[in-house]
Amino acid sequence: MNLPLEEALQQQSNKQQLQYEAYKSRKRSLLYNRYFILGILAILIIWSWVGTKFHIMDLFSGFSNMAIFIFQDLLPPDFTTIPSFVGPILETLYMSYVGLLFSVTFSLFFGLMAAKNTTVHPAVAIVSRSFIAFLRSIPAMVWGILLVAAIGLGPLAGTLALGLSGIGILGKAFADLLEEIDENQVNAVRATGANWYQVIGQAVWPQFKPGFVGWSLYKMDLNIREASVLGVVGAGGIGFALEGSISLFQYQQASVGILAIFALILVVEFITAKLREKII
Amino acid sequence: MTDIFLETRNLKKVYPDGTEALKNITLTFNKGELVSIIGPSGAGKSTFLRSINRLNQPSSGEVIFQNEQITNVKGKKLLLVRRQIGMIFQDFNLIKRSTTVRNVLHGRLGYMSSLKGAFGRFSEEDVKEALAILRRVGLEDHAFKRADELSGGQQQRVGIARAIAQKPALILADEPIASLDPSSSSNVMNYLKTISEEDGITTIVNLHQVDVAKRFASRIIGIKAGEVVFDGKPNELTEQRINEIYDQRGLVNELTS
Ligand SMILES: Nc1ncnc2c1ncn2[C@@H]1O[C@H](COP(=O)(O)OP(=O)(O)OP(=O)(O)O)[C@@H](O)[C@H]1O
Ligand SMILES: [Mg+2]
Repeated sequence: MNLPLEEALQQQSNKQQLQYEAYKSRKRSLLYNRYFILGILAILIIWSWVGTKFHIMDLFSGFSNMAIFIFQDLLPPDFTTIPSFVGPILETLYMSYVGLLFSVTFSLFFGLMAAKNTTVHPAVAIVSRSFIAFLRSIPAMVWGILLVAAIGLGPLAGTLALGLSGIGILGKAFADLLEEIDENQVNAVRATGANWYQVIGQAVWPQFKPGFVGWSLYKMDLNIREASVLGVVGAGGIGFALEGSISLFQYQQASVGILAIFALILVVEFITAKLREKII
Repeated sequence: MTDIFLETRNLKKVYPDGTEALKNITLTFNKGELVSIIGPSGAGKSTFLRSINRLNQPSSGEVIFQNEQITNVKGKKLLLVRRQIGMIFQDFNLIKRSTTVRNVLHGRLGYMSSLKGAFGRFSEEDVKEALAILRRVGLEDHAFKRADELSGGQQQRVGIARAIAQKPALILADEPIASLDPSSSSNVMNYLKTISEEDGITTIVNLHQVDVAKRFASRIIGIKAGEVVFDGKPNELTEQRINEIYDQRGLVNELTS
């Protein structure tokens, strides 16, 4: 009478044992995976260590050289040179702003064409996405070098470099934002008999606006940083002036330029943060 | 012939994935009636409504609206047809970030130029009218709130107000009370009924609740697996007929045969 029950219990515990084995072997293979990944990481670290001829001592000597340079050459800043940086600072602002307007305008167009739900044709969407991806794959600095070679030294090259690389970033952001829009809200406005322009203005825009403002202001922040560096390749702005003083060994003048960049970035970030609060 | 307001003939819809959502729907609707469509989930109720205002395109058959064949109208003509048809949705589908009154004003877009509409330059007359409609659905105090700050029942009344602002001849309501509690539900249904009666607007309401359909509609249509299986007065809808409409075994037999 008892037998079937005991058999069942036996089977039960056998099954449990088997499942436990499966659990353990799973765990073991996970552990092996982990060792494998750690091994690869270790190899990569050693490889890059050797490849860059990195020595801990360099870190210390580099650090002390840096300190000597800062205290002997850069400091104190020669504040009488401030007026010579006013022009370049305004130029940096202007490059960033015009570059932003340029990239926002074109990104709106390419973003609308690249988003699946607002494009005029799926093929246009693919072409537009690829174009945006191409622009994004080239950093602003590289555009700067190319454009200085093509149209000469000065802020125009920097402005265009910021504009072009900006389309790569904003175009993708805008297209993604548009694709996340709630189609049901859009369809409801469409059902009232509204035409394409009215649907875009009244149903798409309110959903798109917060992301649009946020990304554009963020790009303005980025532009100020990039515009400061673009001068180094001759594309105008504060970086150009800074590079000028350094190559003339006018380090105390250069340190004023560095402080100016610092102040410029802080001020612009403060303003964009305020605008973001206001508009969104 | 002339008192037939809306007619569908052999209306068929096959979705791209092969789903046969509507099979030969032939129905006529008279001016001013409030008709409720009931039927199990997936029967094709939403597909039917969306085929009328062409949020989806029927595969074959005809839709005749006020003696005009509208099955294949395009462009400007389609917009003019849609302007005459208000639509109310289960999830309200208001523009959440826009104000209540702006959502009502969207009902006027079909009457405006592209540019004025796109930039929301609504005329003084339209704004006053929109505010009056909001008063009519009891929301005058919420005109300048963002739409998503309202409760579900209030949002659905904005949905109704948007439809009224179109001055429509026909209102299509796709499960307007499915997301609402019982008291908001009867409130919303009351508004739909009042408007249908006072303004003489033909109203077609998809419903899941048979009791609500019986209480508010002057006529009930039962749809099952894309076909009309009942069409009559509420008092003709007996327990037995209800069971036939919702009988799942019947559906399975049909599919396997
Ligand atoms: N866009 C679509 N693509 C493919 N099939 C669809 C699509 N929309 C609906 N269907 C299918 O068509 C059939 C009818 O759907 P419909 O939404 O019209 O039903 P319904 O009666 O409104 O159901 P419910 O009461 O659940 O809203 C269903 O089988 C559904 O899965
Ligand atoms: Mg439905």
